[in-house]
Amino acid sequence: MIKVWIRDLLMGVRFAVTGGRPGWTRTLLTGTGVGLGVAVLLLAASVPSAIHAGDVRDAARQYQYTEDARPTDTSVVVGHVFTEYRGKVVGGMLLQPDGDPEKTVTPPGINRVPGKGEIYVSPKLKRMLDGGDGELLAERFGNAKVIGTIGPDGLSGPADVRFYLGTDTLTAEEDGTRTELFGFATADNDPLPPSLLVLVIVMVVVLLLPIAVFIATAVRFGSEGRDRRLAALRLVGADSAMTHRMAAGEAVTGATFGLLFGGLFFTAGRLLVERFEVFGYSVYSADVVPTGWLAALILLLVPASAVMVTLLAMRKVAISPLGVAREGTDRGRRLWWRLVVLIVGAVSLGFFGPSMRGGDQVNEWGIAGGVLLTLVGVTLLLPWAVERVVGRMRGGPLSWQLATRRLQLNSGLAARAVSGVTVAVAGAVALQMLYSSVELRDRQETGQDPSRATMAASHYDIDAPEALDWIERIREVKGVTEANGFLVADLVNERTKPDDDGWRHAHRVKIADCDTLRLLVRTDGCRDGDVFFVPDPEEEEGPSPVRPGDRFDLRADQNAEAKQPTPLWWTVPKDMRAASAIANPMGELSRGLYVTPGAIDVKEIRHTWLEAMLTTDPANRDTVEHVRNLAPVTDRGFQTYELSMTTNSDEFNGIRNALMIGAVVILLLIGASMIVSTIEQLRERKRQLSVLVAFGTKRSTLGMSVLWQTAIPVVLGLVIATGGGIGLGVLLLRMVDESATDWLAFVPLVGAGLLMIALVTLASLPSLWRMMRPDGLRTE
Amino acid sequence: MTSSTTGGAGALLTATALRKTYGSTSALDGAHFSINPGEIVAVMGPSGSGKSTLLHCLAGIVTPDEGTVHYRGHELSAMSDAERSALRRGDFGFVFQFGQLVPELTCVENVALPLRLTGVDRRSAEAKAVEWMERLEVDTVRHKRPGQVSGGQGQRVAIARALVASPRVLFADEPTGALDSLNGERVMELLTEAARETRAAVVLVTHESRVAAYSDREVVVRDGKARDLAGMAGAA
Repeated sequence: MIKVWIRDLLMGVRFAVTGGRPGWTRTLLTGTGVGLGVAVLLLAASVPSAIHAGDVRDAARQYQYTEDARPTDTSVVVGHVFTEYRGKVVGGMLLQPDGDPEKTVTPPGINRVPGKGEIYVSPKLKRMLDGGDGELLAERFGNAKVIGTIGPDGLSGPADVRFYLGTDTLTAEEDGTRTELFGFATADNDPLPPSLLVLVIVMVVVLLLPIAVFIATAVRFGSEGRDRRLAALRLVGADSAMTHRMAAGEAVTGATFGLLFGGLFFTAGRLLVERFEVFGYSVYSADVVPTGWLAALILLLVPASAVMVTLLAMRKVAISPLGVAREGTDRGRRLWWRLVVLIVGAVSLGFFGPSMRGGDQVNEWGIAGGVLLTLVGVTLLLPWAVERVVGRMRGGPLSWQLATRRLQLNSGLAARAVSGVTVAVAGAVALQMLYSSVELRDRQETGQDPSRATMAASHYDIDAPEALDWIERIREVKGVTEANGFLVADLVNERTKPDDDGWRHAHRVKIADCDTLRLLVRTDGCRDGDVFFVPDPEEEEGPSPVRPGDRFDLRADQNAEAKQPTPLWWTVPKDMRAASAIANPMGELSRGLYVTPGAIDVKEIRHTWLEAMLTTDPANRDTVEHVRNLAPVTDRGFQTYELSMTTNSDEFNGIRNALMIGAVVILLLIGASMIVSTIEQLRERKRQLSVLVAFGTKRSTLGMSVLWQTAIPVVLGLVIATGGGIGLGVLLLRMVDESATDWLAFVPLVGAGLLMIALVTLASLPSLWRMMRPDGLRTE
Repeated sequence: MTSSTTGGAGALLTATALRKTYGSTSALDGAHFSINPGEIVAVMGPSGSGKSTLLHCLAGIVTPDEGTVHYRGHELSAMSDAERSALRRGDFGFVFQFGQLVPELTCVENVALPLRLTGVDRRSAEAKAVEWMERLEVDTVRHKRPGQVSGGQGQRVAIARALVASPRVLFADEPTGALDSLNGERVMELLTEAARETRAAVVLVTHESRVAAYSDREVVVRDGKARDLAGMAGAA
């Protein structure tokens, strides 16, 4: 018995790998199709390990903090620094050894602590420094000498922009931390918020389901030829069970080639993966390792599903010794069970969805199952709809007639090919709707006004002459069209009593000339020497309102228990006027005391910092970088940021990018499989096409018939996908307690689907022209 | 009116009162047929007369709506699909007009196929296949695929395949239909010679009288009824 089974299976294997060019072409097409799907699955299975590897390395470079650490031979004082360069965050650490640099501990990826004026950079940062405008960035590091690159064990990924800069200005007590150990065993990851979790779950289902559909389509490449071959075998005595076993053997071979090709594609892709940076993430090839059990699952499920799909497909085909008879259309496809799948999916979402709102434990499997069933249900409607719609199509021009008759004969083939598009588009529409609503909610108004200032800069611990100097330096930067600066100081009112912790609340005093003051506060006129006060009605625990005659100590420490220097009093003038609050360009509402330089001796204030608002010339894209270059990264008191009306969550942007990349990859895969199946259908009909040409049928008519044949199921698929996607989107939005805002989310995706129809038709035309040659009429 | 047959009690294959309709079209309407071991019977008739349907019923490929087909005392319609498949493997051989060879296999592999399906090992099956290919003068194309040989060669390969398992009955449906007359004659000579050597009965469906001339007896099918020409002549 087993021998017979093995014989039949091996015969199937034989059929898959022999048969000359057409046979090989068929097997290679199946292998390539399944291989592409397998590669994507392996890549998806590698995501957890890639993320984990990055997290582990990130944890390994964090320093361990010990309170009151004493300097030793191996200890080092560290300080985190970061800057921005052309939209990219450049992060790093300042290192200052306590003892012998050779003995000092180092973070992973470097051999020794760099000396003052020396720097280790990541390969990506090195490329940026070596690039055309590298000197602009090098200036930020005080033109430090690059003494080496940071090894992979010290970077989260190949695109990590990172550095270790040697310094001698840090102190553990003020601006640094002393450590003797780098690295934590595990990385702590914050759990994703529920709305993001739903997005990720749906995305995984939406992106992987079409891959499954694609694999199922790919294993059926050449099925018509296979059925005819099996019929020939039935003639010489193969019974039905034998033909099934042979078909299974053939399917397993195709799937095995698919696994092999998938492995090769994955390996090739893995080598290239370091070149890509996707929404700020980059991974090393070595990190892209499929999770063991997922890889095993792929290895088992792909051949098993190939056999299952083949055997299921053969249920509807009667392979007799006389040939192949497909199940007729007398018993139409049934709707009820398709609707059951859809309804069960929707009900599951309704059932498991509330866990998202209630803050309970989110049932990811329940939600993923609900999304999966809903999308499968939407997809299952397609063959039924195609059969119903196509069955009613009558008349029309010859090309239309040829296409509809062909579809009427076997609408399942077309529906299968399109089902991947339906899943992808329905899922993507739902996701886009969810994304748009959640993004709108999470997009925060910053209150910043880029029309009044495009950039803000601040410098901490600076005195008045220095501040004035800084403002001048900012104004001199090429491309800065306007710059206004003011000094800020937290001063303690003589009347303010310390709280239980011995802390005295301070009044924030802003010292600015009248020109700058107009950007910060609304007054009834301003001259040097004026003082204004804007009360803060919301402040309950803060200091009491300022009154004329109040005295402020310009040197006092807010900590009442600290040793206080000799007081130097500044008295609020009697002509202090009230002013009303406006938002400054940084989006901050004016509060507290506003003092013009003529009213206070700023030089005597103990702690001040500079705030500057500047406008830059948009034509000069590097103005921002030149401003940032006013201080090296070691000067951690100097900070800049660009003003923007809204903030977007990086996580959301990442997910949107992933969605678009995934949707494009899937549409490309499905487009490729549609081209293959269209060409295969043309090959099967070579003789009929030749006969039609012999009758005098125009090429254009046949070309148009191919277009209709692709377009009719795709358009139906898109209509169903749009309806299903919007329905699913509404359900998902209910789960996260949001309402739909983007009802037109389907437009770009439907557009992409229509573009795909055109591409598939165009790609099929050369084959069509070839098939139409008269030699197709030859029978011997 | 029912047909008469010359098959007696020792007939190898007997069909009685076969009726078969496809939709509203009647293909067989009470046809009778029988064939003795080693006998070559030509089934003739115009297109659409039902001769191919008769052959398919006799071979157990198609089940008649009414009537019975007995092969060596066993009724075919009572057999399972697997039993009928086993019969096709061991006792029956088939030659059709075209398209019956498996394109993926070489010619010798095609010929060896019925033996492989009965469990004969590859080496022995192919050795036997080569013998038959030599007899049918196609051993030179043994390693070619069906798509690489001429129609006449392909048909001879198909005959070799039909006979390799020493069937008791060979069913040939228009075996020369796609060949020119010279090739057709050669194919018929080889087919009948081989059948006589192996004492295989041959049911030869044809519409050409020059092909029918190779048979021992002719049966004409018209309007779904089979009529034995020899019987008619005897009656006259």
